[in-house]
Amino acid sequence: MGDCQSLGDCDDKRIGRIYEYLDGALSCQDLADIKAHLDDCPDCTQEYDLECVIRSVVKRSCKEAAPATLKAAILARLHEGRPAEV
Amino acid sequence: MLTLTVDSALMNISEPESTSATIEQPASTQGATQQEDSVDLLPKTDVADVDVANETADARRARFERDALQYVDQLYSAAMRMARNPSDAQDLVQEAYTKAFSAFHQYKPGTNLKAWLYRILTNTYINLYRKRQREPLQSNSDSIEDWQLARAESHTSAGLRSAEADALDHLPDSDVKNALQSIPEEFRLAVYFADVEGFAYKEISEIMNTPIGTVMSRLHRGRKLLRDMLADYAVERGYAKSAAAKPTETEK
Repeated sequence: MGDCQSLGDCDDKRIGRIYEYLDGALSCQDLADIKAHLDDCPDCTQEYDLECVIRSVVKRSCKEAAPATLKAAILARLHEGRPAEV
Repeated sequence: MLTLTVDSALMNISEPESTSATIEQPASTQGATQQEDSVDLLPKTDVADVDVANETADARRARFERDALQYVDQLYSAAMRMARNPSDAQDLVQEAYTKAFSAFHQYKPGTNLKAWLYRILTNTYINLYRKRQREPLQSNSDSIEDWQLARAESHTSAGLRSAEADALDHLPDSDVKNALQSIPEEFRLAVYFADVEGFAYKEISEIMNTPIGTVMSRLHRGRKLLRDMLADYAVERGYAKSAAAKPTETEK
């Protein structure tokens, strides 16, 4: 098991680091640290995998195609040439 | 106080210079992840060398059609997470596009059109919703969040550990959408913008008009709540307890 302290001293902080890692928001050094840590920590790897699955499931589930009528309505209003009511 | 409160004065589509100038990839983005995708996805068509001041109305409309309308599906998907039903979501997107077009001369070409449109969509939602409801968004947001968070703390991620990542993969889309819908709005939108759209923290802070620190804490708490809700659905569907067993006829 890896040294989780390198990511933070509690579960909350560790998970936060994993979020930032997945969000692409870490500095180079932090990135290297977390990669090294994930390589030998099954617990954090499990968190990481879980988070990846959640993201892919959310992404998959939230894809909706706009109705064709909406696209047509947007175009129609663009060509009406009347200013938007703000 | 976590309620999404954006004054119309802050709506800021009248000052898109500041909006578009500040929405960009943060220098710290090292992303092994979505951020790279979003760079790749930047429209090649939205180029910086447009002479906006001397553009004719027809040319501007054509440019808007070419550059902005490609995001209709994405904005509609986001609007569905805001408005909750297809009819309101369509109204919202239509209204956002109308506003965006009327402010398009203020958008700085070659910056971040998608984030700019999302910002207008979000502001439109807040303003429309307020107009219709005459009450703040999720007035009971704090109390909902308190009990949800307390609950999430009490079983941390143990519920999901037993559910196993595989089990979540079997959840029908409707469960995932309901789970997302059940978390407080400002958390839900932050999670949506980050996880579905791959926006960077800085972009989300521009879209939601909140400091980056607030975005990060909304994401952190929102993701925790989402995990908890998903774990519940997995248990309800019988995936969690018997993750090894094949799920049977549980799809709606």
